[in-house]
Amino acid sequence: MVNPLVTQPQPLTTIEPTPEKVIVAEGLEMIFHSGNQEFKALKGIDLQVFSGDIELLMGPSGSGKTTLLSILGGILTPTAGEVHLLGQEITRLSQNKLARFRLENIGFIFQGFNLFPALTASENIQTALNLKGIRGQAARQHALKLLDQVELADRADNLPRDLSGGQKQRVAIARALAGQPKLILADEPTAALDSHRGRAIIELLRKLSKEEGCTVVMVTHDARIIDIADQVVHVEDGMITDNPSNFSRFAA
Amino acid sequence: MVSIARKNLFEDLPRFMVAQAGIMFAVGLVTIQTGLLDGFTKSASLLVDNSKADIWVASKDMRYLELTIPLPYERLAQAQRVEGVDRAEALITRGSLWRKNSSAQIDPIRLIGFDPDGQLFTPWRINQGNLSDLKQPYTVMIDRSNLKALDISGIGDTAEISSVKVTVKGITQGIHSIVSSPFVFSSLPNANYYFVSQAMPTGTTQPTTPPALTAKDQITYILVRAEPGQNLTDLKSRLEAALPDTRAFTLEEMAQLNQTYWRRSTGVGFILGMGAAVGVVVGMVVVGQILYSSVSDHLQEFGTLKAMGSSNWYIYRVIIEQALWMAVLGYLPGMGLCLGLSAWTMQTRAIAILITPSTAIAVFGMTIVMCTGAAAFAIRKVTHLDPAMVFKS
Repeated sequence: MVNPLVTQPQPLTTIEPTPEKVIVAEGLEMIFHSGNQEFKALKGIDLQVFSGDIELLMGPSGSGKTTLLSILGGILTPTAGEVHLLGQEITRLSQNKLARFRLENIGFIFQGFNLFPALTASENIQTALNLKGIRGQAARQHALKLLDQVELADRADNLPRDLSGGQKQRVAIARALAGQPKLILADEPTAALDSHRGRAIIELLRKLSKEEGCTVVMVTHDARIIDIADQVVHVEDGMITDNPSNFSRFAA
Repeated sequence: MVSIARKNLFEDLPRFMVAQAGIMFAVGLVTIQTGLLDGFTKSASLLVDNSKADIWVASKDMRYLELTIPLPYERLAQAQRVEGVDRAEALITRGSLWRKNSSAQIDPIRLIGFDPDGQLFTPWRINQGNLSDLKQPYTVMIDRSNLKALDISGIGDTAEISSVKVTVKGITQGIHSIVSSPFVFSSLPNANYYFVSQAMPTGTTQPTTPPALTAKDQITYILVRAEPGQNLTDLKSRLEAALPDTRAFTLEEMAQLNQTYWRRSTGVGFILGMGAAVGVVVGMVVVGQILYSSVSDHLQEFGTLKAMGSSNWYIYRVIIEQALWMAVLGYLPGMGLCLGLSAWTMQTRAIAILITPSTAIAVFGMTIVMCTGAAAFAIRKVTHLDPAMVFKS
């Protein structure tokens, strides 16, 4: 899929149906205040992400990637600009409506896994399902199916402390996929893993997201996973830089 | 549904145990203080509550059971003639001194003189001996809980009341008041003689049998049983009119008067009530601290829940559920300990820590309120939690 905000070489012979826009962000600005100091984290970002894509947000530390991800996920409200997620303008929604929107449409994967340490792998996933109204045995069965998809069915009753980093992140992916969200937002999901495990996690995420038909926006520093992305956006100093790539489209 | 509250609570067992100890302490403090207050209150009207009189007639100057001015014995006969009186009996209650023998130390006692053949007041739980034994001269009945304090080994043992040698003829069980000196029961003539002998010159010969009461001898109360169907208010008025310088009280009024005196006038009620209040405050602080620190430790998890789209109410429910678990699991052993302590103090010291079912229910309710109230601090912290914190590694 193509981001019209970045320059792309146009294939001459390909005609594709118009893809659905999952994210449309326009003129995003974010200013943080600390005492009398003001810090402009985002400086007018425009972005479009299309259904089924895996989009990477890359850039140096402090460039505004995570702030952008938080705004796209409806966790932060931008100082200026609009975000349309799945056709819904979210920046003007109340906190309660935003929470509901996130619950119904977005799955999150975090750098530090953010699993509930007192809950087993299965219970971690069941908690996400419970929030979505799936309870009891149905939630348990659904959780086991998701664990099976991430090849951890045999660790369903293990606590996070008994799992390796890669296993934890796989549980986190299963939790993010619970309830079939249309969008997955991942914040450096491989940062806490070695390169081998990191690669495996990303490939799993790509496979499952394609199977489930969900869009993935991922913040990462890891240049080695660029090839799995449909599109890469470089963020620097709060702006998208003119450094486009569209690997899957243009892979030979 | 997966209970994050319960799992988080039991995740760190040592901390959970410390928390529960704090709640048990608060439950114990409130229950014991309340139980002592109730036991004390009940104790203040023990003799009244266990009488079978409808009306107690006392001096008009009476403040409470043990602080009054005596009535002449002739008032008893006058009371018996009042219309609507079915039966009237005299009761003597006086403070006196007890000693094992003439060289032993003195101890205060509360002498209770009554008619062993009467129907309106008798010791209600006699463990050893018979009521009729008290008709013998210079005999007494004491409570088991006071045997050690009065240096008595059992029935047949002797001691002195105001230099009069007395023999223990009976043992009661559980007739003991926190607000009073040990009760010593005897017949009216015996009790009267122990009292009048105090004023007799040294060396006065003790009669073989104490003389019967005369019109001018002093009694303390007249207990009245009304004829069936009598209006007690009217009967009280008639008794007060017929007996100069007296006031009449129904059983409930007399019990209430004593309880109110001890609770309000002495400050004991205030002190025990204050202790219970301190228990609640301590409990709230303990639970509040524990919940607050638990929430602080799990902030990342609550932030994750918020990011995932849970409502604030879901998170509040997690914290409140945690508080309720703490309340229930702190209350049960706390109340168990209190019941054990109550039984032990009653058995060994005859001190009533009165834990009634309603007290137990009230303390449970208070524990719930205390714990959920303390949860408010933790809820406040989570309310202001920024879900964006989940992206800070």
